[in-house]
Amino acid sequence: MLRVEGLSVSYGAVQALRDVSLDVPPGRVTAVIGANGAGKSTLMRSLAGLVKPQGGRVLFDDEDITGRKPEDVARMGIALVPEGRSTIPDLTVEENLKLGGMWRSHTQRGTSLTRVYSLFPVLGERRGLGADTLSGGERQQLAIGRALMCGPQVLLLDEPSLGLAPLIVTQILELVSQMAKDSGMAVLLVEQNAATALRVAKTGIVLNLGQIVKSGPAHDIANDEELRHAYLGY
Amino acid sequence: MSKLSSLTERAPGSRLVTHALIALVIFGILTWFNQIVDPLMSYYLATAAMYATAMFGMTILVGLSGQVSLGNGALMAVGGYVFALTSLNWQTVPILGTPWNAVWSMVFAGIGGVVFGLLIGGVAARLRGPYLAGLTLGIAVGVPAIANRFPGLLGGENGLMLQVPYPAGGYASIDDGFDEEFIDEGAGEGFVDDEPIYEELPDEFFEEAPVDDSLEDPLAEEDMLTDDDFLSEDDFLTEDDFATDEGFESDAGSNPDSDPDAVAEEDMLTEDDFLSEDDFLTEDDFATDEGFESDIDPGVEEEFIEDPGTAGDIDLAGVDSGFVIEQWQASVAVAVACIVGFIALNLVRGRQGRVWQAVRDDPVAAAVSGISPSGSKVSAFVVSSLFAALAGAVFAQILSYVGPGAFALGLSLSLLVGIVLGGRNSLIGAMIGAVILVWLPEFVLSLAADRGWEDQVTNNAPNFIYGLLVVLVVLAAPGGLVGGVRDLAKRVTRR
Amino acid sequence: MTNFIDYFLGGVSTGAIIALMALALVLVWRSTRVVNFAQLGQAMITSFIALTVRDATGSWLLALLVAMASGLVVGVIVYFLVIRAVKRLDTSGAIIATFGVLIALQALAGMVWGGDQKAFPPPISNSGYEVFGRTWPFSPYDLLVVVMLIVLVLAMTIVFTRTSVGLAMRASAFNPEVARLSGVRVSRMLILGWAIAGLVGAVAGVLVAPLSTLSPTSFDLFLVFAFTAAVIGGLDSLVGAVAFGIGTGLVISLVSGYTDSGNAPVVALLLLVLNLLFKPEGVFSHHKARAV
Repeated sequence: MLRVEGLSVSYGAVQALRDVSLDVPPGRVTAVIGANGAGKSTLMRSLAGLVKPQGGRVLFDDEDITGRKPEDVARMGIALVPEGRSTIPDLTVEENLKLGGMWRSHTQRGTSLTRVYSLFPVLGERRGLGADTLSGGERQQLAIGRALMCGPQVLLLDEPSLGLAPLIVTQILELVSQMAKDSGMAVLLVEQNAATALRVAKTGIVLNLGQIVKSGPAHDIANDEELRHAYLGY
Repeated sequence: MSKLSSLTERAPGSRLVTHALIALVIFGILTWFNQIVDPLMSYYLATAAMYATAMFGMTILVGLSGQVSLGNGALMAVGGYVFALTSLNWQTVPILGTPWNAVWSMVFAGIGGVVFGLLIGGVAARLRGPYLAGLTLGIAVGVPAIANRFPGLLGGENGLMLQVPYPAGGYASIDDGFDEEFIDEGAGEGFVDDEPIYEELPDEFFEEAPVDDSLEDPLAEEDMLTDDDFLSEDDFLTEDDFATDEGFESDAGSNPDSDPDAVAEEDMLTEDDFLSEDDFLTEDDFATDEGFESDIDPGVEEEFIEDPGTAGDIDLAGVDSGFVIEQWQASVAVAVACIVGFIALNLVRGRQGRVWQAVRDDPVAAAVSGISPSGSKVSAFVVSSLFAALAGAVFAQILSYVGPGAFALGLSLSLLVGIVLGGRNSLIGAMIGAVILVWLPEFVLSLAADRGWEDQVTNNAPNFIYGLLVVLVVLAAPGGLVGGVRDLAKRVTRR
Repeated sequence: MTNFIDYFLGGVSTGAIIALMALALVLVWRSTRVVNFAQLGQAMITSFIALTVRDATGSWLLALLVAMASGLVVGVIVYFLVIRAVKRLDTSGAIIATFGVLIALQALAGMVWGGDQKAFPPPISNSGYEVFGRTWPFSPYDLLVVVMLIVLVLAMTIVFTRTSVGLAMRASAFNPEVARLSGVRVSRMLILGWAIAGLVGAVAGVLVAPLSTLSPTSFDLFLVFAFTAAVIGGLDSLVGAVAFGIGTGLVISLVSGYTDSGNAPVVALLLLVLNLLFKPEGVFSHHKARAV
């Protein structure tokens, strides 16, 4: 569904991604893991259109979408949940959610909203309150909820575990994995917390210094001790 | 210019000398220019130098320190008014033992500028971009309005007229020597001490002039004014001269008993009631030239009546130079500009300049390095205020006048326009901007004369062009003319 | 006491107009973080256009509508002139650009319409109501001004809080990146913000013109008042703009009445200075105005 070919991205003199190629198939979670500064966020931001690559292509259903603007990429069906708290505290919970998917039909949005509230009941309880009243974990749910409101075919999750308690992280990731299986959505998950990520993913890709060093079934990567020591820090 | 920098890198003292040389050379060129051109060009030179003085301050404040301020017009007003007030009111006040002169007024103007700069800077330096701009906008509009509030002291809406203190003039006797020229730092040629004008009246003026008895009675009888020549009360119409209501009958409701045609004798106007020729003063009533004799020794008379604008040749260090008032104003303006320019050059190319830019670019990093960001912002304000005040004092001399209208918002906007067009970060840009400010309106005027534009178009065309150019510069060439040239040079040399 | 009431009433319509102009400034600030000093120049030009229309057709209403339309257009044009500096994160440049536009607009008005003061006749009576045998300093026209303020504020509130477009505009102002990722065409929202601000400013200009005379520089002082009101209220806050706009109008009216009308600019300046000294981010705002 989403295919990356030979992607290269530089920030000035620093090369963040070097000739990265990967596939994000539908219906499962693909995890990209690696140490800090490996280039994971750069990858996500390039896919979402926030960063223009210097080389390579991004193909969505065989259509070249390299370098498209982020709002266009979102409207095509690729939704990014960026690193950090990407909710708008000045708006209410419900407003934050309704921000996603404005181009869709009224019914579609209604259905999505109901689904988000059932996936994340806490959001439903606080729908009228300001987003700044939410806890860290709740805000992450809100961010994912907003992305889901866009009705995406591809969900890009950038380090959802940052600053969250492990239990909550597991909860959210398992939820997402279930969603992927149920709806056929493709999920690309980028994580520093390799262990948790590899537990929910089908495929694992290890990134180091902007290059892919290993890719394969998540289970195998999780059990490859040498690899883990070298690149994943455990 | 890079070779020059490498020269000066060696020792800070040598940098000072280099800058002084630059200032002196420029002063020399401009003074020579001033001598050979006609008074109108001298006036342009004076105005441009005045603008440049203020704009050096803007370069520091807006360019290097990154604070967009519209307050400098108001600060020019402060300098101008302090100069005018001290010139008008302190002529007899001795300061530090020396008699008052224009230099002292300039010093006080500068002090006024520094004080106001501290006040404004103290508040403004804490503010970010648009808040700062808005505050200074308010100052630019509000400060001239203050002049209106004190019509007595500050001359109100009409402002204050002042005499330009210049050494040449009809009040001066040719014999009255000027002080031996003293070389001012960076001034080069002799900078003449000004003295109050009355002191330059020759001593003979105060002597009892010998009266020549052989002269006929100077005023003839016919020349003397008598009572008849003046209008008296009788010559004016009073209420009695007008027909009263009782005299007039109206068509409706008239008193049938009285004669409708009758108007009382007293109510009728007679010839006496009207002003006649006799009532007016004619030429004959005034003493004629032949009647008056001057009290003064005829030998001195000639100097007294002489046109004060063009004194005879004055010897200045052996150079024969005729001084026209515009030339003098230009000399003062150029001298001030060169002195201020020298100071600015040292600041901009020295450590302070780097500090200002560092705070502008990254205040957090600067703070971490031990520089106080607010302190540096305030210092930029104070320096630019000083320059603006001095420019204002020069402006007062050029106009021979200060008033709220001269220092309105338009002046502040013009200063901003000048440095933006010339190049925000460059002193050369400030000078180019000053030239543009003086040249463009004249250029437009000549275009208008050729093409017969209406007044309202000619008057506003320069501003329209300025506005468009400013927007264009910000869009495409933020460094102004100088920045654009530098970029071009870089591109060319890279290949 | 009657004096106080008089000055109070006299200040309400002035305050309403200042509120509208402050509103326009806040709108632009919220969408692009730029204070559009050219706003007043835009309002002045649209008022001149309105005057021309009115003189040609005799209809005030038509003049108002044309002014609103041209306000939209001029707002968009100025947006495009200024936005590049904003994108370059050149705050000084953006501010300078707005002043450049202001200078050009004032000069343009002078060239086309001349520099002398022009009279703009009000559409309805401008003399005070006569109630209880007394002429109050509040006329039918003043009532119209206040009504228009209320209508515009209500309309804008509804648009911003109840519609998707309004939500998109607010989100674009608060966090353009998140808005983009949600599929919002942020540039369009910014343009819309400037267009609406231009419209509001144009209305303010048309409303204020009959209260004095119209000339290229007659709005200068107005700019200071509107900016003062917007800043005191907090540049982010629409409510603040309205509240303090009216407040500023009242204060000016009281000052002019009790002392002398020439004091007004000085008082406004004083208010501004006090506010910037003590609470520069404004009474209602979240964000910081202070530099390091």
